[in-house]
Amino acid sequence: MRHSLAQFSGKPPSGCRSVFVTFLGGALLFLAGCTAIPESQRSDMRDVYEPINRKIFAFNMGLDTYVLEPAAKGYRDYVHESGKKIINNHVNWAGMPSTAINSTLQGKFENAGLATINFLVNGLTLGFGDLVEDDMSIKKENFGQTLAAANVPEGSYLMVPVMGPRTTRSLAGNVVDMVLNPMGVLAAGSGAQAVNSLRTPVAVVDIRARNFDTFNDVKYNSIDPYSRIRSVFYQSQSRTFGDTEPLGVGESDSDDEFDTFFESE
Amino acid sequence: MIKIMNKISCLFSLFKCHLIIARASLAIAVLMLAATIGMMQPVMAHDHTRAATDHIATMIHSANSLLQADSGDLETRTTEVTRLMDRYFDFPSITRFSAGQYWRSATDEQKREYEAVIREVIIGTVVRNFDKLSGFEYSHGSSLAKGEKLVLVSGKFTDMTGTRPLVSVNWRVTTLPNKPPKVLDIEIENISMLVTQKQENIAVIRKNKGDFGSLIKAMQEKMAK
Repeated sequence: MRHSLAQFSGKPPSGCRSVFVTFLGGALLFLAGCTAIPESQRSDMRDVYEPINRKIFAFNMGLDTYVLEPAAKGYRDYVHESGKKIINNHVNWAGMPSTAINSTLQGKFENAGLATINFLVNGLTLGFGDLVEDDMSIKKENFGQTLAAANVPEGSYLMVPVMGPRTTRSLAGNVVDMVLNPMGVLAAGSGAQAVNSLRTPVAVVDIRARNFDTFNDVKYNSIDPYSRIRSVFYQSQSRTFGDTEPLGVGESDSDDEFDTFFESE
Repeated sequence: MIKIMNKISCLFSLFKCHLIIARASLAIAVLMLAATIGMMQPVMAHDHTRAATDHIATMIHSANSLLQADSGDLETRTTEVTRLMDRYFDFPSITRFSAGQYWRSATDEQKREYEAVIREVIIGTVVRNFDKLSGFEYSHGSSLAKGEKLVLVSGKFTDMTGTRPLVSVNWRVTTLPNKPPKVLDIEIENISMLVTQKQENIAVIRKNKGDFGSLIKAMQEKMAK
């Protein structure tokens, strides 16, 4: 469950950069043109564009059924564990420049240094091998987290085509991460360009495969998968902006709900 | 006259002395009582924290026994999981919590129907995912009393084959007066199962203009499939 639905909320790996930047920018502009619905019509107060979000969610679920789910099933059943590990190493490695940049912006210089060392050392294998073997101590950072650290409000809940749930802030963070990530520049004009272009779709299939049963349980057994995914997204957001470490006992945002419950009992 | 005055003065001094002693005794008694109560509170908190921790340990032991005996037969598994959950889970509190503010306005009949269907939904979820617990070993982390009615017990599931990542779990255990401890919620990697269920339920009710019955109907229809 560590690699859970929460990961669908994370920053996608760099690759196909210009297409994604245009796409995300377009998504932001499109949503800016949408009208917020009144509170009485929302199933959650944070979901101001719920009708359009639900339509995009239905599209995403269709895409999942016909493309992603079969691809993830094949990946899960036929790719050897060592192959999955290599892919996972590469995807993590590709995110290191972004972690280094955003850690620096947040003043977390030790994390920035570790991410830089990891990127340079594992760069000898293009990130497919893990020569450092201590990358667990590196906390992934993205521009959405940098904005959160600067107390930028999270904005509205957005369901983005293909990418899934975001907030306005995390979507803006994704755009900036893709622009800032030097991976596209490093790979330009070289043989690594093909790897760079394939990274995002492969990473998406990898995440879907690792959460295959959990995601399918939500997709097929929930009475309202849309609101369930929204709930999981928001709970995972509070963990992500708590520096990606699982919170300790008594530190969860859910505690407020339980405190209120016992007060009213 | 002087003698009388001296006696009165002497008596008055004696009376003052008694008053001081009485006041001092009272103060000491109050202090001792406060100290006793002060000492008792952590002991009481410690007791229900211990009871909640033991409850989780016993439940994990029972679940492991069930996993070892599990033949994969759905009917048997459902019966055994239902027995396990009835013994260790606080279904009345789960029912009220998951209905949110709509519980209070529900009719008695709706409450009865909802109680039955939410229990079926939760047991169904556990039955479907029960075999995924196989191969994991649970280790207790820490326990923390959150008031008198709730204890948070944290731990980790480690995959013995080493292929699956470590899973952090927080159990919310109710410790209600004159009742045995029971599990209210499971939080996996800081995602609360009960809060997720509640938010989904509330979304369905709000989508149907606050009609609690529509949630019950949607749940019943889903379970019938």
